Amino acid sequence: MSKNYILGVFNDEATLVDAFEKVKEKGILPLEVYTPYPVHEILEGMPTKTRITHAAFFYGLFAATGILGFLTYAAVIDWPLQYGGKPFNAFPSFIVVTIVATILSITLLTLFTFSARAQVFPGKKPEIFHERATDDKFVMVIDKESMGDKSKDIESIILEFGEIE
Amino acid sequence: MYNSAVRGRLIDGDKSLSQISQEIIKPIHAKTPLWWYAAMLVSLGMFGFGLYCKYITISTGIGTWGVNNSVAWGWAIINFVWWIGIGHAGTAFSIFLLILRQKWRTAINRAAEAMTVVAVFCASLFPLLHMGRPWLFFYIFPYPNTRGPLWVNFNSPLFWDFVAISAYLLISASFWYFGMVPDFATIRDTAKSKIKKAVYGFFSFGWTGSSKEWLRFEALSFVLGGIAAVLVVSVHSIVSTDFAVSVKPGWHTTIFPPYFVVGAIFSGFAMVLTLVITMRGLYKMNDFITDSHVDAVCRVLIFISLIMGTAYMTEIFMAWYSGSDYETYLFFRTRLFGEYAYQFWIMFVANAVVPQLFWFKKMRRNMWVVFTISIIINIGMWFERFNIVVTSLSRDYLPSGWAPYSPTWVEIGFFIGTLGMFIAGVLLFFRFIPMIAISELKSVAKFDKPNHGKLKATSHE
Repeated sequence: MSKNYILGVFNDEATLVDAFEKVKEKGILPLEVYTPYPVHEILEGMPTKTRITHAAFFYGLFAATGILGFLTYAAVIDWPLQYGGKPFNAFPSFIVVTIVATILSITLLTLFTFSARAQVFPGKKPEIFHERATDDKFVMVIDKESMGDKSKDIESIILEFGEIE
Repeated sequence: MYNSAVRGRLIDGDKSLSQISQEIIKPIHAKTPLWWYAAMLVSLGMFGFGLYCKYITISTGIGTWGVNNSVAWGWAIINFVWWIGIGHAGTAFSIFLLILRQKWRTAINRAAEAMTVVAVFCASLFPLLHMGRPWLFFYIFPYPNTRGPLWVNFNSPLFWDFVAISAYLLISASFWYFGMVPDFATIRDTAKSKIKKAVYGFFSFGWTGSSKEWLRFEALSFVLGGIAAVLVVSVHSIVSTDFAVSVKPGWHTTIFPPYFVVGAIFSGFAMVLTLVITMRGLYKMNDFITDSHVDAVCRVLIFISLIMGTAYMTEIFMAWYSGSDYETYLFFRTRLFGEYAYQFWIMFVANAVVPQLFWFKKMRRNMWVVFTISIIINIGMWFERFNIVVTSLSRDYLPSGWAPYSPTWVEIGFFIGTLGMFIAGVLLFFRFIPMIAISELKSVAKFDKPNHGKLKATSHE
């Protein structure tokens, strides 16, 4: 694996971000960055964007209409029952179940979306570039081919604060 | 921008990131201490006794409980509401303190969430067994069937409650679990033994810490955090409608939903204190859960305690101001100065008076005092539920329907069983799961450093 990639390994967030920005200025995008916790500059700087929040909104929209529709269908259309003379379409009291069940649907569907999109699921074999990236090292993986003739510059940027492995 | 200097340091002892992981994971890799086995044995004993009482309840029937026609809800519902209340702290900690940008929550939220999951599980057993025929509990699911009325009554608070509790259990468990995935990966990558590597490797779902994962992880936390905030408020409001929607004196009040939500967070935060002080004592987590963390929770408790006091006063005032004979009788002749005065005053003193000691810094910094008060609050909150459930039921409109209530050993054993289950759950949590959210703690570690860990000083912060 190490034949095709170089790993820039840093000890803290600040030096990683500094190097990441300098590498980007050279017009080269690291293949992936591994950090022990989310670093916002990196998440914003990398090309991948997420639409999980949008998906969640639509899950909520569909779940809310679906559940409210189901309650109305069951209690008003399919089998109306008298409960102490209350109206069949007890809309305000349907809202309670709608809110809670919508939250449940959003949570579960968003979790599955996350699991599918981020490829985090039971039984997945992790691709580990650096053993300590989940502990205390901040690792930038750069494809050797993408560097072309700029590899000297990139290496010197990394070596300013970090190490190459 | 928020400045953490107000709170003191978030992590004591100038630790490196790897030290943070090592010290939090230590109990998982270390040899299991003898006290752990002893405590586990005791809690499993309690749990076993609880199982026996459940067996008696199911095989003989609800008649083995002390409940009667008037007081149809006894210890089971008291304990249900009590556990659910405790279960509210986890999500409240994670969500409300996240929204308020309180960085100190990172040291405590994992323990609070673990507590939530176990407590809600304990709570859910009570209504299940109180059904009398728990093997028919699936009747409450809304699905087409051949039992006459085809659907459940969607206007019933008891059905709302069922939906709310199951949703809360599922959501808080998944929220807790996904928060742990990065930490399981840390254990996988630092573990020496092959078995640990394999087991934690499986539970870490192949997490590597890449930016693609973190990006979506953040989005997920944002979505779940946002909607779970609504859930915390709605679940306990729904629990309160079990009471407030009825027409019993002392129950039929609009103050119930907010009063229940605040009470739930109150008891939950008290239980969090009990738990984190235990963690500090047993596992020497003082550098992560510093005195100022405990201090901060105590300050929150003073505030909530004042709200509780206000709620109690409001109830009493409204009972008098309403001019309703039944309300006045219930509050003044049964609760304040009557047959149940004991329980009322224990509740009032424990919840509204004792926590006021936290105004003094000396008290907030003395762990034994804080620990004792946290236990007192939990006892007080139990009596609050006793007050609500039993006084209203045993003294309602018709004197001919009045009845006393005292629990039988089966009910007490059931409760002891859930306590055992809770302690066993917490012990398993101490032993096999990182007690503090490692990755979250690392992300706030930089705020203890000059310039917040940045290379250059920024002009304003």
